Amino acid sequence: MTPLLSVRGLRVGLPTAAGMVTVVDGVDYEVAPGQVFGIAGESGSGKTISVLALLDLLPDGAVVEGTATFEGTDLLRLGRRAMRDVRGQQIAMVFQDPMTSLHPMMPIGRQLTEHIRFHLGASNRAARTRAIELLEEVRIPDAAGALTAYPHQFSGGMRQRIAIAIALACRPRVLIADEPTTALDVTVQAGILRLLDRLRRQSHLSVILITHDLGVMSSIADSLTVMYAGRVVESGPTAEVLGAPRHPYTAGLLAALPHPEAPEDTPLVSITGAPPSAQSRPGGCAFHPRCSFAVQSCVTDIPPLVPVGDERRLACPVDPLVVPT
Amino acid sequence: MSLLELRDVEVEYTRQGRPPVRAVAGASLSVEGGQVVGLVGETGCGKSTLARAAVGLVAPTAGSVWFEGRQIRPLGRRARSRADARLQMVFQNPFSSLNPRRRVGDQIADAIAILGLVSAGRRRERVAQLLERVGLPGSAAQRFPHQYSGGQRQRIAIARALAAEPSVLVLDEPLSSLDASAQAQVANLLKNLARELNVGLLLISHDLAIVRHIADVVAVMYLGLVVETAPSRRLWSAPLHPYTEALIEAIPRSDGKGWLPESLPGEVPDPARPPSGCRFHPRCPYAFDRCVSEPPALSAVAPKRAVACWLHEAGGVERAPSTFARMTRAVSGVGDQVDGV
Repeated sequence: MTPLLSVRGLRVGLPTAAGMVTVVDGVDYEVAPGQVFGIAGESGSGKTISVLALLDLLPDGAVVEGTATFEGTDLLRLGRRAMRDVRGQQIAMVFQDPMTSLHPMMPIGRQLTEHIRFHLGASNRAARTRAIELLEEVRIPDAAGALTAYPHQFSGGMRQRIAIAIALACRPRVLIADEPTTALDVTVQAGILRLLDRLRRQSHLSVILITHDLGVMSSIADSLTVMYAGRVVESGPTAEVLGAPRHPYTAGLLAALPHPEAPEDTPLVSITGAPPSAQSRPGGCAFHPRCSFAVQSCVTDIPPLVPVGDERRLACPVDPLVVPT
Repeated sequence: MSLLELRDVEVEYTRQGRPPVRAVAGASLSVEGGQVVGLVGETGCGKSTLARAAVGLVAPTAGSVWFEGRQIRPLGRRARSRADARLQMVFQNPFSSLNPRRRVGDQIADAIAILGLVSAGRRRERVAQLLERVGLPGSAAQRFPHQYSGGQRQRIAIARALAAEPSVLVLDEPLSSLDASAQAQVANLLKNLARELNVGLLLISHDLAIVRHIADVVAVMYLGLVVETAPSRRLWSAPLHPYTEALIEAIPRSDGKGWLPESLPGEVPDPARPPSGCRFHPRCPYAFDRCVSEPPALSAVAPKRAVACWLHEAGGVERAPSTFARMTRAVSGVGDQVDGV
C-alpha cells in the first residue's frame, strides 16, 4: 500500500540554555491510509516532538531536518500559509489533556464552528449543522443542547470526545492523537479507543497514536515504532513487535507491565536505571547502560535500523531475543 | 483489632448554594501490619477523600478512624503526637510534594529531628540508610529534587515518609505519574517495604492491574461506597460485583493481539445526586427491579470476600456476574454512548 505520510531521516534540534540539543535523531516512519500507526516510548523519548515537527508546531529556533512527504508535498518545506491549510484540514491533532486543549470560557459550539467557518468558509447555519453532526459522530448525548455548554460541564471522557470532534471538523486525512487516553479512567479510555477504532474503519481515517501505554497500543495500533532517546529502536506490525519483541528495550517495557496470569509474589521485572535526558544521552546505542545484553560495539557505534523480516526493523546489533526457527 | 481501621466513614463536602456532596458515603476498611490493601475506583469515586480521611487531613462527618487502637482526630493547629506520626502519607505527584529548594537529605531529616528518633550526630547516617532502603545512593542526600527523575523522586518521598518509622503508610496514586519501568521499580519497592519492615500499606490507585500485582487485598469503590473486597488474586480471577467485572474488562492487554477493551456505558453520576437503590444500577447490565429501589449492603459472601450486590446472597455460591442472565431492559440514552465495533 502506498503510504499517505512518509517521514524520512527526521532530526529535530531544540535550543536550550545549554545550547542546541538533538531531541529527535533520525526517525523514519510511514502511515498508511485507514491505519493506526503507533509511536511508543517513555517520557522524553522524543515521540511528541517528532510529530509536532510535522505541523511546524515547535518552539522558535527549532532546527528540523529530513523530509515528511504527505500526498506528494514535503511538509517540512511548506510555507506558513500552506501549512495553515494542512493543519486542521489535512492533519489534525488531539492532545492529552482536554481540559487544557479546550477553551474554558467559550461554549463548545463556538469552538467547533469557528474552525469549520475558518477552514471551509461555511455559513453559520451550515457550520451549526455540521457541529451537531460531529458531536453525534463522537456520541455526545443531546448534541444540539451541548453546543451551548462549556467544557467544565462535561466529564473528562466527554471532553476528549469533543476535542476529537473538533479535530475531525474539516474531515482530515490524518489524526494525530498524543496520549489521548492517559488522563482518563480505564472504562472511559476503552470508549475512546473504540471511538478511534470506529473512525478509522468508517471514515478511513489514518491515526498516529502516541502513547507510553503498550496496552493501549496493542488494542488499536496496526503497526508501531518504539522510540528510545530520540531514535527508533524497533518497528513493525503490532502483533509481531508486542507478541515477540526483539529489542531489549521493547522486551523490558513489556516485562515491566503487570501480567494477569503471573504467579503470586513475582516481582515486576523492571529495566534498571532511568531514561537519559536529552542533554546527556550516552554515545553508541543510547540504551546500552541499561541493557543486559550490551557488547563493546554498543558503547561506541550507533546501531543502524535494519530490516529484519518483511515489515520489521530493528536497531540492535546483538539481536539477543530472536526466536530460533 | 487492625492497625488502621476505618469504620463507616462518611465525608461530606458542603458547597455554597448547592446541595452537599457526600464524597464518601459510609466506607469501612482495615489494614494490618505488613499487609498491602489496594483501594481502586474511577475518578470521583471518593478514594482520595477516603485516604485523606484515613490520615486525618479531612474530618469525617460520620464514622471513625482508628489507628493502633486510638481514634485519629482531624489535623488541627497542634502538632501530631509521636504515636500518631506512625501513620504517614505519600502523595501522587513527587514534583509538588517535595520542596524544590531544599536538599533531599534535609527534607528527610526533618521527621527524624522533630520526632527525636535518632540523636543529632547520627542523623546523617540514618538519612543515608533510608535512601539506601528505597534504592538510592546515600550521597543523594546532598542533591536537590530536580536532579532526579519522577521515579527517583517518588522514592525520595517514600524515604521521607519512612523517616518517621511508620507502621502504616497511606499512598495516594503513588505510581500514576510514572513511566512503566519506573512504575515497576516503585511497585516492587512498596511490596518489599511491606514484607521486610512489616509496614501496612493502603494503596490508592485507579490502575487495577498494578494494584493486583502488589496488593494482598483489594477494595473496589464506586461513588462513595466500597462495593467489593476480596484477596486480589480472587478478585481478578472471579470478580463478583458487575462494576469490578467492568473495570477488569476495560484494561487493555499488551500482547499485540489487537483486543479492544470493553467500555462501560454511561458516566459516573454526580455524587451530589446519587441514583436510588444500588448506585451502580443505571450502568449495570444485570440490574433488575430490586436494584432500583433498595441499596444492597456490603455483606460477606465467602471467607474474606464481601460484595454489595443483589445478585449475590450471603453464603451463596461465588458466581461471576456474567453467569447471571443479562437482564434485558431499556436503558434510554445510556447505550448510545457505547462504542460498539
